[in-house]
Amino acid sequence: MEERIIKFIAALRTAGVRISLAESADAFNAVDHLGIHDRENFRISLCSTLVKDSSHLPIFEELFPLFFDFPQSMPQMDLSDEMSPEEAHMMADALHRFKEQLREMLDRLIRGDPLSQEELDRLGQLIGLTEVNDMRYREWLVQRMEKALRFREVQQAVQELMELLAEMGMNQERIEQLRKMLRNNQQALADQLRNYAGMRIAANMSKTPPGNNLEYIFNRPLQTLSENDLEMLRKEVRRLAAALRTRIALRQKRAKNGKLDAKATIRANIKHGSVPFDLKHKNNTLKPKIVVICDVSTSMRPCSELMLSLLYAIQDQISRTFSFAFIDHLEYISPDFHVKEARDAVNYILQKMPPGHYNTDLGTSLQNFTENYLYTVDNRSTFIVVGDGRNNYNDPRRDLFFTISRRANRTIWLNPEPPSLWGTGDSDMLNYAGYCDSIFQVGTLAQLTAAVDVLLTS
Amino acid sequence: MNQSLLFNSPEEVKIGLGRQQYIASDEIATIIYLSQQLGKPLLTEGPAGVGKTELAKAVAGATGRELIRLQCYEGLDETKALYEWEYAKQLLYTQLLRDKLQETLNGSKNLAEAADRLAAEEDVFFSMRFLLQRPLLKAILNELPTVLLIDEIDRADAEFEAFLLEVLSDFQVSVPELGTLMAIHRPLVVLTSNNTRELSEALKRRCLYLFIEYPSIEQEMAVVRLKVPELAPKLAKQAVDMVQNLRKMDLRKSPSISETLDWAKALVTLNVKQIDDTTLETTLSILLKHESDLQKAKRSLMQSNRRQSGEIDDPRLRGWRN
Repeated sequence: MEERIIKFIAALRTAGVRISLAESADAFNAVDHLGIHDRENFRISLCSTLVKDSSHLPIFEELFPLFFDFPQSMPQMDLSDEMSPEEAHMMADALHRFKEQLREMLDRLIRGDPLSQEELDRLGQLIGLTEVNDMRYREWLVQRMEKALRFREVQQAVQELMELLAEMGMNQERIEQLRKMLRNNQQALADQLRNYAGMRIAANMSKTPPGNNLEYIFNRPLQTLSENDLEMLRKEVRRLAAALRTRIALRQKRAKNGKLDAKATIRANIKHGSVPFDLKHKNNTLKPKIVVICDVSTSMRPCSELMLSLLYAIQDQISRTFSFAFIDHLEYISPDFHVKEARDAVNYILQKMPPGHYNTDLGTSLQNFTENYLYTVDNRSTFIVVGDGRNNYNDPRRDLFFTISRRANRTIWLNPEPPSLWGTGDSDMLNYAGYCDSIFQVGTLAQLTAAVDVLLTS
Repeated sequence: MNQSLLFNSPEEVKIGLGRQQYIASDEIATIIYLSQQLGKPLLTEGPAGVGKTELAKAVAGATGRELIRLQCYEGLDETKALYEWEYAKQLLYTQLLRDKLQETLNGSKNLAEAADRLAAEEDVFFSMRFLLQRPLLKAILNELPTVLLIDEIDRADAEFEAFLLEVLSDFQVSVPELGTLMAIHRPLVVLTSNNTRELSEALKRRCLYLFIEYPSIEQEMAVVRLKVPELAPKLAKQAVDMVQNLRKMDLRKSPSISETLDWAKALVTLNVKQIDDTTLETTLSILLKHESDLQKAKRSLMQSNRRQSGEIDDPRLRGWRN
């Protein structure tokens, strides 16, 4: 049993749940106290000690039965027991009209035989189940196995078989009954396949060593990331944000040791008879106020999304954030972030934008901005643009950009393109560059993190 | 009650909490039992108003322990959570004891000797007498076993979390002037969080985790019947159905159990015989606390009215038609 639990923990880790050694020790302790006889108690003891994040609960619920429940496929019915000798004869007759392979499968359905372990293994090897260690592929693999077993054709064959039997003069009601039983048997087989696929994947997962390709993802250009990698990055961003937050908080705290604030000190020490026990210092650092405009066109989306999620994860170190998204016009998106995660929020914004063919147009977006939201920028705010500066030959509206950057304390541009590409083709980057205090190239997550770090602490 | 009770099995927890008018699911009961057996703090998460704080109160009631509550907020620090030296009292004592101090220092040959003598008496001023105990220290030093409730930990700063680690893993507190103070009895610790921000891994690692969701119809019905017995069963059923349906809508803030209970009490107070449009119009604001939510709920109510003549079967609205 212990080995099983260890494997289960390994599989959870592979699925992305962070479990420390202390937590797995807790799990064993908890199991010692409650035993393994009661399935529900056992499940709760593992769940409460291993899973500390509500978003990981579904993963736990999916894996738990695969490790600790014995596969219970539906009891299959043997049709031959049900049939009268006469009917069985008719059936055998009808079966003869099918091809060899289909007949085998139909026979199995009629007898109600489950697949043997050996057969399952062979099937698994055939479709490459031995390599997969991600639950997301489960349904797809089941479909492939069904295909290998010719489920679709068999279903058709069952239909034909029933028609044949009807022609041969079998009772309609009886045929309906048989059909139902056959369908149940087939369903049971499908369940068996599903179970098998799940267990094999789970077993593979517990064998996978904890992944260490983060380094590699960190330094890969954001545009080339697959959906899978992005998922991993999102997770990493959350961890990163925590680290960043403590670092920034520390620096802001240290920065507090400014001049003695005589007024505040006297006020604070009145209760001690004006003996200054408690010194107060002037706090010169202000938490930054941020106005960020993000390009959310297809090419820029991963970069903007990660940037926004990073920003919102360290919200408590920033006094105020106004965020806007644009493709061809501007949308105010801050309110969405208070209720949604960055990715959902970005998707939601894309839905809000009217359908149609988009051309990135920063010029118009800047005009929208100056008309409606210019008040958000003042001498304390940092104005950030996340975009590649490619305007599709629209008017870049440098004048507006100049107005905004003059109002702001600092203007920062985050661009995923390397400087050598600026000004080529439809890029207006060089036009804007003169008005920016600093420009960061943020092609990878590592660069993005470095940029945010600088942005919030200098 | 002097002797604190300990639970011997999850079933006992359930019965004990039931006596405190808290209806615990099997999951809650089992985890509470585990937390007590393993001596680990319990971290409960879930939407606001599903009874996380109430759970800690019920545990305190069921075990006959004193409940010590630490409400977290932004800017909470050690001096508010753990202990503080009572400067004013120290100062007052030095003033009043001036003569006595003079006596002690009299006859000392030089400054060094005087300082030595004073240092010998220093313990008097840094003793428990002048230590102002805040909730955490109070829970640890209490003569009797206690239940410590750290409420809404997600509101406190990340630094405060780090500071909690020592208290939660070893149940001890280091006061530089006094040394390390160990817990006399290990308190049962319950932390609650509304999940407004991610808690640190280190904190989570030290806790057992319990996620409390909105209750099922049956559970909520049981809670309403228990807490507001005056409400007629049929009416209670209608009310619970409606709240459950409201939760399925896309609202900014879904109504919680505590709001259901408030509403049920309001229905009793207003002596409502059946839930009709006028009642809803006037009392819906007890359930929904956002203007936009109210509008949304009312709109879907209006729609049901407009279609009332025809046959409608909108499962969301079954609750407020009879």
